[in-house]
Amino acid sequence: MENQKRSSGNPSKFEWVLSLIHTVLSYYADLISNPFKSGLVYFFAGLIPALVIGWVLLPIALYSEQPQPINFSHAIHMDPDIVDGIDGDSDIERCLFCHSFRDDGTFAGIPTLETCTQCHDDPDSPWGETTAEAIFLNEYVANEKEIPWLVYSRQPDCVYFSHIAHVKMGEMDCSVCHGEHGRLDQLPAYKENRLTGYSINIWGSNIMGLKSNTWDRMKMDDCAECHTDKGKEENNACFVCHK
Amino acid sequence: MKVNGKNITEILAINRRNFIKFAVGGAVGTGLSPLPWKLLDDTAIFTQNFPWVSVPEVGEFSFVKSVCALCPGGCGIEVRKVGERAVKIEGRTDYPVNPGGLCPLGMGGLQLLYNEGNRFTGPMKRIGPRGSGKFIDITWEEAIETVANRLTDLRNKGNAGSIVAVDGNPMGSTISTMIERLLKVIGSPNYMRIPSSEDTNQIVTNIMYGKTGPVTYDLENADYILSFGSGFLEGWGSPGRVLNAWGLWKSSPLKDRVKIVQIESRASNTASKADKWIAPVPGTETALALGLAHVMIKEELCNSAFLNEHCFGFSDWKSTDGQTRTGFRDYVLKEYSPEKVSAITKVKVEDIVSTARDFAGAKSPLAVCGRGKGMLNGSVLEFMSVHALNALTGNLNRPGGIYIHDPLPLSPLADMETDDIAKIGLRKERLDNAGSDINPIHHSLFGNLSDRFSKNSQPKVDTMLIFSANPAFTLPDGGEFRHIMSKVPFIVSFSPYRDESALMADLVLPDHTYLEKIDDIVWPAGIQYPVYGLTQPVIDPLYDTKNSGDVIIRIANKIGGTVGRSFPWRNYETVLKERIKGLAEVKGGLTEFDNSVPVWKQMQKSGTIESDYRDLDDLWKRLKSGGLWYRPVFNQENIEGLFATETGKFEFYSNKIKDIILASNQKDTGITVTGDEAAMPHFEHSAPEEDTHMYPLKMVPYELINLSSGWLPNPPYLNKTIFDNQLLKDESFAEINPRTAVEHDLKQGDRVQIESKKGKIQARINIFEGAMPGIVYLPMGFGHTAYDDFTRGKGVNPNDIIVGGKDPISGHPVWWNTSVRLIKVLI
Repeated sequence: MENQKRSSGNPSKFEWVLSLIHTVLSYYADLISNPFKSGLVYFFAGLIPALVIGWVLLPIALYSEQPQPINFSHAIHMDPDIVDGIDGDSDIERCLFCHSFRDDGTFAGIPTLETCTQCHDDPDSPWGETTAEAIFLNEYVANEKEIPWLVYSRQPDCVYFSHIAHVKMGEMDCSVCHGEHGRLDQLPAYKENRLTGYSINIWGSNIMGLKSNTWDRMKMDDCAECHTDKGKEENNACFVCHK
Repeated sequence: MKVNGKNITEILAINRRNFIKFAVGGAVGTGLSPLPWKLLDDTAIFTQNFPWVSVPEVGEFSFVKSVCALCPGGCGIEVRKVGERAVKIEGRTDYPVNPGGLCPLGMGGLQLLYNEGNRFTGPMKRIGPRGSGKFIDITWEEAIETVANRLTDLRNKGNAGSIVAVDGNPMGSTISTMIERLLKVIGSPNYMRIPSSEDTNQIVTNIMYGKTGPVTYDLENADYILSFGSGFLEGWGSPGRVLNAWGLWKSSPLKDRVKIVQIESRASNTASKADKWIAPVPGTETALALGLAHVMIKEELCNSAFLNEHCFGFSDWKSTDGQTRTGFRDYVLKEYSPEKVSAITKVKVEDIVSTARDFAGAKSPLAVCGRGKGMLNGSVLEFMSVHALNALTGNLNRPGGIYIHDPLPLSPLADMETDDIAKIGLRKERLDNAGSDINPIHHSLFGNLSDRFSKNSQPKVDTMLIFSANPAFTLPDGGEFRHIMSKVPFIVSFSPYRDESALMADLVLPDHTYLEKIDDIVWPAGIQYPVYGLTQPVIDPLYDTKNSGDVIIRIANKIGGTVGRSFPWRNYETVLKERIKGLAEVKGGLTEFDNSVPVWKQMQKSGTIESDYRDLDDLWKRLKSGGLWYRPVFNQENIEGLFATETGKFEFYSNKIKDIILASNQKDTGITVTGDEAAMPHFEHSAPEEDTHMYPLKMVPYELINLSSGWLPNPPYLNKTIFDNQLLKDESFAEINPRTAVEHDLKQGDRVQIESKKGKIQARINIFEGAMPGIVYLPMGFGHTAYDDFTRGKGVNPNDIIVGGKDPISGHPVWWNTSVRLIKVLI
């Protein structure tokens, strides 16, 4: 083609651009019309499986799924009509009924069996009729064995997090991080990242790590984003959490 | 099938171009998927979760208050637990000894509990050769029966004297009392204590004050500290307390800022941070103290009222036969002029003069002794000179001075029964001659034992019982005691740890560690008011170990007869309770401490205060939860009755030493001077025992606050705090001055052989301007041949080459000064 240009003497600038567009278009037309000849098929043979692996297979392969030892209905236990004494003004107060602060201000997290048996300590206690409740009573309460709950929000050991600073001082609602967990009737399956050993809830169920709610992800950037939003940039210093 | 006139197989052929297109497609696809970004993040988190990275348990915290028993300092500790797991040790703020502070060893204490590689997990019997560490598990019944049978046999054969106990527990502790009692009722006089500063202090209080109680220092109220090598920043005394005192000194108001003068040949941390560092030739500190005394006396800077009323032998005095005898004043004026002292110590005359003036001019000057961590034995003559300096200022039993107390009023144990075998056995002479007419003020003399062994090929020791001690590693005798141990037919170790001595044992009856048992701390080292601490079992014992106190009772009961009847207690705890009866009877004892007013301020109060417990049971209950008894207010300024010497005064001229010299061959005491000065603080020129041509240098060991140098292993946490010029891989470093380095053609990091008459060790060279020329400094605590991989084979142990001559009067080994030579190792 260059030879042609040279042989036609002195083409105008416009002609030169036209010829360039023509060249490019004809190249791609050629590629598409003859994908085998052009080898485009090989490109896609690499591209498509890679996309499938990354977007579809990775999330399946990366997480193992385990059921919780028994089901627990937060919906029932948060209902003031059912549970005596849980009639707090706010959701926070109702959550704290079981997920309480200890005397020293540390957060007890998942309640131990002792908290459960304050209401459900023998067959005469208030019960429903689910199998989960039967297992709870016969296997755990009877043997005084702690229930090995799988914790959705367990952070790595190198992260220091104080619930009381956020809930009491920051007056944040539990759902900001934990979402609608307190309204669920069924505990969702616990999905563990095979590589890190932490729950899927930390990275979020979107494999790209995209979120639409504040509780969809619990990574460092999410902590920092909220600190920044609330004008607490000073709390983004490393040693505030990584002590 | 044909496409564009070509066979499809031809088109689909994988050639280089097509393969590259495939790979590019795959790479673009991967890049457009979340895979690399997600896995990058996950991999980072994965590396935080390696199985060997220990993560503390998650759960509710609980706290147990106890007392640290890792050194004689007895700091209060609070152990944080999650469930049954202890996760952190911190200093207590509600304990008067250490206001919240704790030393690195104390903080690393959990690794002495959980590090299984360093511990015995149950009673064991040796099956391999001595020192190989090959043991098999046995039951406690078998272990106790084996010991009891062996002791009974020896008793029946009239050979009870061949039973030796080696005890490293603090002096006066209940467990020590029990061990000594066991030996007595069996009929063996050979109860031996590992030499320590307790011995030196006790000898000095005995000969100068006529007392038996501890020597204590009111550091916090002093305004001028003259330290004779005491490493306040190296772990001296109760480290939690001393580091706090250091902070008080350094933060005192500028106009009357406490002055710290450190006398020591090496620029230790304490010397580097003191206001003044004086570096005498090692071993001449006594001369320096007497030089300071000379200036004070000559310039009339002494407290003459105190000297006239309460001291004996300061001025010239008349003996019973009417002769005029030279007093300390004239002796010092004659012999220790600054010029003479400067020639001996190489300290400048003006430094001697100005330091003496500053010391005497201070309101509450305090001279302190006990080298390094203050745990090892010292020179009696040096300690005497330091006490003489304090006496010259009259700063005894006064705020900011030395307090000499009576021992804690613990009740003696019920009388023991001795049968004929025991009575005959106890009349026999000790194997080391300690406590005899010749050595009346000594507890034990390991050096004499070594001498006997080298003379007699047949050892007189049949069975050796070792408690809380590691003599095979810690005795500064060039390995002599290790040699003795290799020949002793039967050794029983009560150590919880796989230390060098325990690995040489035939039978191991492991004790609990200090976090698993109840035990007492009788008067933490150097605290200026009476304190008694009780350790608590912070967690249930991890392994099949038993409190040695309980084991002693069981052994005694197994032997039976008078031995069994002398140990009538149900368990060791009952013995501890019996002993504190005496404390319960004392007025003004407290079991709770409010940290708003430190005790050294409360001490200024006069009068008496009420005890905060009703009776013995109440006190015991309080001790078991708080671990503390103390008596903040006592009749402190009462000089009357303070001195229990023959003259009832502080004795510059010690009648006890005079008696010892009269009763024995003076040569045996190690005192070479004759005349009146022999019984006074004086400087002994060390005998030219070594060929200075062969061994031109001196080796001085030093201690580090972050390295355990006693019988306890070092927690691996602390290994991380050791600098690369102290230990690099498996080699420890010897510090020398640049000038010494030039003389020996040595560069930083060169390997040298350090040789003494006793042996040789290899180390690398660290060139340090803070080292005195002609001296080689080696850290103590390295060079273990036992314990786990973190400890074993790291560096060298200076004790292996210490010649360990005998210190005059005390007879204990001189570890602070060994003649050596350096030979460069060429690789």
